[in-house]
Amino acid sequence: MKIAFIATVIAGVFVVAFGSPIAQEKPHRDFYYGAPEPILPMSFAHLDHVTENCVVCHHNYADDTGGGLCMNCHVTDPQVWPLFERQYHDLCRTCHEEKAAEGIDGGPPRECMACHLGDDLP
Amino acid sequence: MNALLATFSTVFLLTFISAPTMGAGWFWDAGNAIGFAAFAGFLYLTITSSRRLDVRKHQVLGYGVLFVAVAHVFWFMLGDGAVVEFLKVGAPDYMWHGVVSLLLLGVLITVALVPDRFRVYSDYPAFKYWHRVLVVITIGTATYHIVVSNFYLGTWYQALLFVLLAIGVAFGRQYWIRFGQLPIAGNAVYIAVSIAFGLVFIAIRNLPT
Repeated sequence: MKIAFIATVIAGVFVVAFGSPIAQEKPHRDFYYGAPEPILPMSFAHLDHVTENCVVCHHNYADDTGGGLCMNCHVTDPQVWPLFERQYHDLCRTCHEEKAAEGIDGGPPRECMACHLGDDLP
Repeated sequence: MNALLATFSTVFLLTFISAPTMGAGWFWDAGNAIGFAAFAGFLYLTITSSRRLDVRKHQVLGYGVLFVAVAHVFWFMLGDGAVVEFLKVGAPDYMWHGVVSLLLLGVLITVALVPDRFRVYSDYPAFKYWHRVLVVITIGTATYHIVVSNFYLGTWYQALLFVLLAIGVAFGRQYWIRFGQLPIAGNAVYIAVSIAFGLVFIAIRNLPT
């Protein structure tokens, strides 16, 4: 039993280190958007979000905290960058969860790969 | 059997108090149903351990609970290529609590067996004391992992009830041993109940309404 458990833990460490041997798609970490550290790719299409108020995401339109693309601040500003993952997860997942709770297909509330494959969508 | 069904019902019903049809897709819901089955199994294992414990049945069911907990982890790690990123440095603390609870569960079970138990613990009272301490910490870390990951227990009152359930099992031994030695289910029954509750969990959250 002890050996089986240790073997399982070692197998888990290998999967974390080298990725799933059976998952068909795997995200590739890279310096996307000029990030200071390798990050996961992200999928986002404005076309899928046209029913949302722009300032839900583009808060800078309303609070005068800068201009340009989201990533201009969120991956380059040293004060905001450490919060990058938490802020994006909170914003995207919370909204998707609220839609799911209302019974609306409002985007993936949890599946990692549903968002973390890169795309070229505007 | 009744205690097993009561434990599973309590754990799974708490997830349905609010937004019962909210799902995250069958793959994700199945993986989490396995996790809830592991947690319910661990609570059941705890409340069925009284003074006149059938150690062999307790031990064998412990293997089953550990197997289901490992299945919960590997289901996600193997099935979703991005999940492993959530287990690396910088992962949210609730994920690390999940990892710690799994490791503690493994340690709890493996060093409880002779001859390792003789090597680790000086005498039987020391083993009993530290076994219970590890149980409390394992329940605590698993509860934190479940509650703070915040999907199926999305309201404060669900989280509160879930925490109270965990506290009741972890610290309420003096009350629940009054039920006497409850019969301990075998792994076949435990796995069958896990599959049944899991299928209901997935169906309610994913079938068209």
